[in-house]
Amino acid sequence: MKGKKICRTIATVVIVVCSLALLQRMLTPKYVDGIIEGALIAEYYGEEKDHDVIFIGDCEVYENFSPAVLWEEYGINSYIRGSAQQLIWQSYYLLEDTLRYETPKVVVFNVLAMQYDEPQKEAYNRMTLEGMEWSMFKVKSIFASMTSKEKFEDYLFPILRYHSRWSELSAGDFENMFAAPKVSHNGYYMRVDVKAAENIPEPRPLGDYQFGKNSYCYLDKMVELCEEKEIQLILIKAPSLYPHWYDQWEVQMEEYAKAHGLLYLNFLECLDEIGLDFQTDTYDAGLHLNLSGAEKMSAYFGRILTEETAVEDRRNEAELERRWQEKLAAYEEEKQQQYVQYGIK
Amino acid sequence: MKRFISILLATGMILMAGCGNSENTISGEVKDNQGSTVQGTGSNAGGQTGSSQGTQSKGYVFIYNGVTVSVDGNMAPVLEALGEPVNYYEAASCAFEGLDKVYTYGSFVIETYPQGDKDLISVIRLTDDAVSTPENIYIGCTRDDVTRVYGTEYTEQGSMLVYTKDGMKLSVMIENDVVTSIQYFSTVLDE
Repeated sequence: MKGKKICRTIATVVIVVCSLALLQRMLTPKYVDGIIEGALIAEYYGEEKDHDVIFIGDCEVYENFSPAVLWEEYGINSYIRGSAQQLIWQSYYLLEDTLRYETPKVVVFNVLAMQYDEPQKEAYNRMTLEGMEWSMFKVKSIFASMTSKEKFEDYLFPILRYHSRWSELSAGDFENMFAAPKVSHNGYYMRVDVKAAENIPEPRPLGDYQFGKNSYCYLDKMVELCEEKEIQLILIKAPSLYPHWYDQWEVQMEEYAKAHGLLYLNFLECLDEIGLDFQTDTYDAGLHLNLSGAEKMSAYFGRILTEETAVEDRRNEAELERRWQEKLAAYEEEKQQQYVQYGIK
Repeated sequence: MKRFISILLATGMILMAGCGNSENTISGEVKDNQGSTVQGTGSNAGGQTGSSQGTQSKGYVFIYNGVTVSVDGNMAPVLEALGEPVNYYEAASCAFEGLDKVYTYGSFVIETYPQGDKDLISVIRLTDDAVSTPENIYIGCTRDDVTRVYGTEYTEQGSMLVYTKDGMKLSVMIENDVVTSIQYFSTVLDE
């Protein structure tokens, strides 16, 4: 009799927990249409993890570099672990997270995030943090990122944060409860449309151009981690025209790179060499490159990676080549689909 | 079965209990916290010709040709009153729907952020001495002029004196004892 009661209690608990877990899956945003950037971080975990180059950083990496071009033209196997307004401590913990699975030869970090010294916005935090698999690094990243209004338990149990979404659920929330379609190409967010960069306003003067201590602290940690793992860290400033990259920031990054023996590349200084034309190579007036721009950027950067790092051409590896042929087919398919969608070809 | 339903209902009720208090509800896809905009109490008259109708002015405001421009105010009536800007730039908010817009007039710049179907003012920046604040501080004034008018209750951020009022910020940049920039900031976008 007592045993039966225990079994019934256990069964009740299991059913309640499972029901809540299902409810949580249903209510949590899936990011498969509309704002798809929130799906980028999670996609990495489904990959074969033997990349030679890992990009980390904000939208200036996942919209400006195409791993498909790096593979096609140089045989470089790369992945972008980028997310919207990725803060530098988030980049650092994403790097730690990535190193649990693989050790690339090169890590590329976009330095625009140095401007943020403290947590910014919950909405952006969630787009980076929710996609991470649970580990100590995710926990540390959450604590480093939370704004004053956020609570750790809301990350632990997203249902606490999303319970009010029930009235907005769409068919997509049910269709993609357990598996969502891919939205990126090795972390690259493709856009083929064009919106020329015109009338870019004068930059706003800042009271203090000095990057904060917290930003430098995490950059130092990134440098140390890469040294420890014998990874070459490359700092870049992607060629986005807006928001403005100040000369005072540039000086700080140049000095930091020099002091730490790092390669630092500010692509804003070589737009002509890359072949970028901001009348045709951007889809949002200079914030990000479109496909045409990202492919030019990648072709240019691939040459640098080939010449200045230990990255090798791996197109002779049959299994990897096979995987990439599948990826390139999907890349081409989306390209054609977007050309039709935007009425370009 | 009854017990299961009771537990499930109780859990559901606990989860839903916070609904009414949620200040920054994240609904649909994760949205920005801009939805939690607080329209502060106005301390300046917003009834000037062409002022941002339907929105209360908050904190310090900028007045140009009788048009009151205040942060977090609606841009539409201001634009209607001021007319076409000299330069206009718009860019998509990164990973969010809507556009950030920058309107450049002769001596000042207004930036906006999207909220619902409105564009609200995030920044007002005075760019030369042809305009001044309603308190008569302009580019070229001295630090003493600024502290005499706005007081000494400011925080210093590098070369900027930052005055906070009704949830907005007035930042006055001073270099070599001379005002070189005056900016009004919304704090809604800070978190």
